Amino acid sequence: MTGRETAWRVFARELEASLEPERGTGERATSYVLSPFGARMNRVLLAGTLSTAEPVGRDETPSFWRARLTDPTGAVAVTAGTFQPRAMEQLRAGSGSRTVLVVGKVNLYHGRDGTAYVSVRAESLRDVTETEERAHYTEALEQTLDRVDLVDRLARGEAAAPREVGFVPPPWVVAAAESLRRYPSADRLQFRRDLRPVLGRIVGVASSALVPPAPPSVQVRRDPAPSPSTAPTAAERAEESLLLEFLDQVAEASLDAYADRRELLARVGAQGLGTDRAEAVLTRLEDEGVVEEPVVGKLRRA
Amino acid sequence: MADASPPSEPVEVRLRDLRLGSGPVEIVARVLRAERREITRSSDGGRRSLLSGLLSDGTATVRFTWWDPPREGVERGDVLRAVAPEVREFRGRTELSFGWKTRVGPASEAELPVVRPEEIPSRGLKDLTDPMEGFRVVARVVRVAERSVTVGDERRVVYDGLLADGGATVGFSAWVDFRLRSGEAVEIVGAYVREFRGTPQLVLDERASVRRVEGTDLPTPATVLDAPPVAIAQLEDTGGAASASVQGVVVGLLPPSGLVYRCPRCRRSVQDGTCREHGPVTGIPDLRARLVLDDGTGALTVNADRATTERLWGTTLEQVLSGLRDRPDPAAWESSLLEAVFGRRLRVRGSATRDDFGVTLQPDTVEPAEVDLDASADRLSARLGDGRR
Repeated sequence: MTGRETAWRVFARELEASLEPERGTGERATSYVLSPFGARMNRVLLAGTLSTAEPVGRDETPSFWRARLTDPTGAVAVTAGTFQPRAMEQLRAGSGSRTVLVVGKVNLYHGRDGTAYVSVRAESLRDVTETEERAHYTEALEQTLDRVDLVDRLARGEAAAPREVGFVPPPWVVAAAESLRRYPSADRLQFRRDLRPVLGRIVGVASSALVPPAPPSVQVRRDPAPSPSTAPTAAERAEESLLLEFLDQVAEASLDAYADRRELLARVGAQGLGTDRAEAVLTRLEDEGVVEEPVVGKLRRA
Repeated sequence: MADASPPSEPVEVRLRDLRLGSGPVEIVARVLRAERREITRSSDGGRRSLLSGLLSDGTATVRFTWWDPPREGVERGDVLRAVAPEVREFRGRTELSFGWKTRVGPASEAELPVVRPEEIPSRGLKDLTDPMEGFRVVARVVRVAERSVTVGDERRVVYDGLLADGGATVGFSAWVDFRLRSGEAVEIVGAYVREFRGTPQLVLDERASVRRVEGTDLPTPATVLDAPPVAIAQLEDTGGAASASVQGVVVGLLPPSGLVYRCPRCRRSVQDGTCREHGPVTGIPDLRARLVLDDGTGALTVNADRATTERLWGTTLEQVLSGLRDRPDPAAWESSLLEAVFGRRLRVRGSATRDDFGVTLQPDTVEPAEVDLDASADRLSARLGDGRR
């Protein structure tokens, strides 16, 4: 089943501590960022206070904007570029800080000094009320604790889903096992302490009274080492051109000038390019900025 | 047929007790379905007629094939006695074949085997799988609604709904009016199971019988319909459900959402004034929303109809149509719809199905979901331990 990537409920602290890239199965599969606390994220849902967006670079017409989202546990960069016009507009809208809900893709950068940091490329965001923010924090805290508990159980060699816990989402079990393997010395006790300020926000303590704690220290074991990306082969280029050709056709025939992702996959499928392969090629084209998905399921050339 | 001398006298058996390789048998059963065909022998091109269909004697239903049947006089509802039919198996199911050795003749209702209800095994709804028959279930009618369908050239009324017992909820389709009412407890004998969009469904036709029972230990319709939400990952895992409630946040829209044009004949969406099925048509405008609902464990698509879309959007179809002159770009309308629904926390109940693209939920109800902040804060505080209080 090629389902949709789940929007993991996480806090900034967990993103700050996430340093490990992950590739899904299959060649050029979806990319993920693995956290030490049981999240294997391609997409996340966040809430917090967003700063005024600032342009990145010195272009006269900036094509990339960045803002800072702060929640009770830390902060993370939220970005949007011209290839996500709606998200960019929403990111730039208003000045001064405001409370927002953001869904977006997780990106992991390695700086020149080797430091990894995470940012979120916004797909959609919207201003929310305080009640909506508190409801989000409630859900995110509940799920984050569920995931950390799960990692703890696996660390103790216990069953992932004992009777008293009930149903545990299978993707969470996969993520927790991988977190444990890749971050063997992550401090989960400290992480639980780092989450405590969220509780204050849920019961309605004003956000200004809360100061995010200092960044956590997480020891990382790289296993396996990240492999350098290689240039595409001629066959891969051929697949790309087939995909782009059909993307143009589907987009042209559609009412809204976007190519429906499902329809595109069905068309190229009929040409012998299987869904898994096509998804992989699409992911790469999206990563390279050739194709974009401004609305979920709707593709077009960037 | 005079020389059809079997090695021993045929033994009368019920259809449920038919076994491959047993001695010669004799059965009495009612014809549920019969269809005549002619096949051409590949060896000499000769034609041979056959009648095939379904037989039931109240204990089981089996497929039968009757080679060189009488030209007429075999109808649905007839009771037949067959002596020395051949017992075969096809894809794990027992079948009967009436060949030259078989003597088939009319029989009376009274000759059908007497089946006491207690002889029919009782099944829980969670144990129903396709194919299954010859069982009885005791369940609550959670919901029932009349629907008119076209079968061939015939208009028929089907009664669709939901049944629940302590273990599961399944959909049903009754092709006969059993006067089912929601809330009543019933014992159903003689129904069969068929898979519908990946989930087992109970089908009641002429063979089925329904008896009202006390059913004090059965869940009420309200408990079934107000059941707490399940994790979307669970639906992704199990493949769907006749009635499921989920709660999540709208994180996106899938196309087509917003203003769509539908074929007046089949309601499919029309592209460039052309229906895939019916060619050039004048599309009827409609609103819909394919909401991506995500609960942090998984994501599914909710197909919202016009009324639900209008309610969530706060914009009616009429408003969209009259606004088209000022704002002709459908993408702008879709943006406006996304802005209205993005981030909304919804509880949705309906039937869930799974395909290669994930789980789709056909909603019965779509309601805003509330989070009890105080109760959650207490619970989370306890989980976080020595922090507050």
